[in-house]
Amino acid sequence: MALLEVKKLGISFGGLRAVDEFSMTINKGDLYGLIGPNGAGKTTIFNLLTGVYKPTDGSITLDGVNLTGKSTIEINKAGIARTFQNIRLFSNLSVLENVKVGLTNHYKYSALTGVLRLPKYFRMEKEMNERALELLKPFDLQDDATTLASNLPYGKQRKLEIARALATQPKLLLLDEPAAGMNPKETAGLMETILTVREQFGVTVLLIEHDMSLVSGICEKLSVLNFGQLLCEGKTSEVLSNPEVIKAYLGE
Amino acid sequence: MKLKIKPHTRKSFLTYALVIAAFTATQIYISSGSASNMFQGLLVPFCVYSIAAASLNLTVGILGELSLGQAGFMCIGAYSSAIFSVVTKDTITNVWIRFPIALLIGGIFAAIFGVLIGIPVLRLRGDYLAIVTLAFGEIIKNVFAALYVGYDSKGLHFSMTSQGDLGLEPDGTMLIKGALGISGTPKDSTFVIGFVLLLLTLIILYNFIYSRTGRAVMSIRDNRIAAESVGLNITKYKLITFGLTAFLAGISGALFSHNLSILQASKFDYNLSILILVFVVLGGIGSIRGSVIAAIVLTYLPEALRKTGSSLTNYRMLIYSVILIVMMIFTSNAKIRGFFSAQFMKLKRLVIKDKTPAVKEAE
Repeated sequence: MALLEVKKLGISFGGLRAVDEFSMTINKGDLYGLIGPNGAGKTTIFNLLTGVYKPTDGSITLDGVNLTGKSTIEINKAGIARTFQNIRLFSNLSVLENVKVGLTNHYKYSALTGVLRLPKYFRMEKEMNERALELLKPFDLQDDATTLASNLPYGKQRKLEIARALATQPKLLLLDEPAAGMNPKETAGLMETILTVREQFGVTVLLIEHDMSLVSGICEKLSVLNFGQLLCEGKTSEVLSNPEVIKAYLGE
Repeated sequence: MKLKIKPHTRKSFLTYALVIAAFTATQIYISSGSASNMFQGLLVPFCVYSIAAASLNLTVGILGELSLGQAGFMCIGAYSSAIFSVVTKDTITNVWIRFPIALLIGGIFAAIFGVLIGIPVLRLRGDYLAIVTLAFGEIIKNVFAALYVGYDSKGLHFSMTSQGDLGLEPDGTMLIKGALGISGTPKDSTFVIGFVLLLLTLIILYNFIYSRTGRAVMSIRDNRIAAESVGLNITKYKLITFGLTAFLAGISGALFSHNLSILQASKFDYNLSILILVFVVLGGIGSIRGSVIAAIVLTYLPEALRKTGSSLTNYRMLIYSVILIVMMIFTSNAKIRGFFSAQFMKLKRLVIKDKTPAVKEAE
């Protein structure tokens, strides 16, 4: 069953056609990869999917709901969460608080309840703490719960971003170069984590990645983007042996 | 596993304890009879400026937006509460009923203006809030300085030109006399009430900051794009925070106006906004406790230097400015702060032999 359907998506920045006629279908439970050379428009597609940019043409549908032109906030509430290529954590908050911010829209109590410290405040905060710790566990971050996010080592910061995105209970998780800057050992660990997360939280994953070991290791399907246009899509093994893809991206 | 979420609770309770201790010490000092008139006269201003500075820190330190209009909100709070008290001082004779209502009116009116300003401005990114609040503060001051209000059997009369223009009946009473301001406000503000209000302000601020809403606000400050990506309504959280700051500023203004027999709008000028911002910056941006300490020290200092009567009096502005610079270096330089916190830890280890701190689960 199709979870995300993108049809003929396009965006222009002035005279530049950054993404053109891009279509993609992701089924529930898929681990989908989006690859392509630098500047091909991969992150632009993420920004279109999350409402950072409004598409000039085309449509985006998630689980039957039309999300075209919706705001980032509405899209997140509809079930798309993302991480960023250049890490964007809440650096002055602790690891636990970062995840709790992600839980904000799911554990609601009013500002007044918080100020008056009504029983509901303690109950909700307790639930949030438990849930946040649960979310940190697959990433092996639970022991760093009270550490400031900015004091975490790089690899853990990337993982924390994923945990925070998962806290918003997404149907579709977008990971923008999750393995960037990681060594092979860390990348292998990350691959494990992504698979566990998909299993445990039942999310569908779409990721952008340049590390081919990760792409060929865990992605089931791929779309290849070149100059803003879809070059090729299909099963990972087929796509990676496609001569056009090899020519445009992988190199002969 | 036991979570150490405690630092928050410890931080806030330490602040409450400090304020209560300072209050108790002051009360003992006064009852000993050795407190000067100058010192006693400063007690309510201490509370006024502490509340104003602590609440401004919510916008500047926690929300991360620069506001230069704190005096404007204080002005609204001061005038609206003073008008209420002047009008009702003969009908509601019980201070304990009248003054809390006056304080609330001051806070609510200031909050309304805060939200009205915030709705258009807080949608924008950048320093727009600073520019608009700066203008707002000046406009409010000048409007009140030109405003004549009186009331008689036919109700309220307003004029922006002169007293005679009001056309009051012979039984009428003047409320606001333009630049001469409001006189006859009952002197309801006492140090005890000021202290209670300061304590309440601190409790409200800390409880707000360490709640779901406060966390959301801090996340917006740290990274707006990421906060949006997890579905936070940025404008809503900014408005709540800015409204709360304005509310508390209004209350501090109400406390201020009920400490003076004559209230003039010229007191709430640009310099007051900057002075309060100085308290916030020197006390440490984001540190509520620091704002209170800075407000008290920097309110006391100029007066104390003025009083000494020795040759120091001539140099008081010089000393004041040097102290400002030293405080700035101490609070903003990470190395110096690190040095002192290291010394503090050493001292702590000497005093408390046991190295494992007893941390209790509270949240």
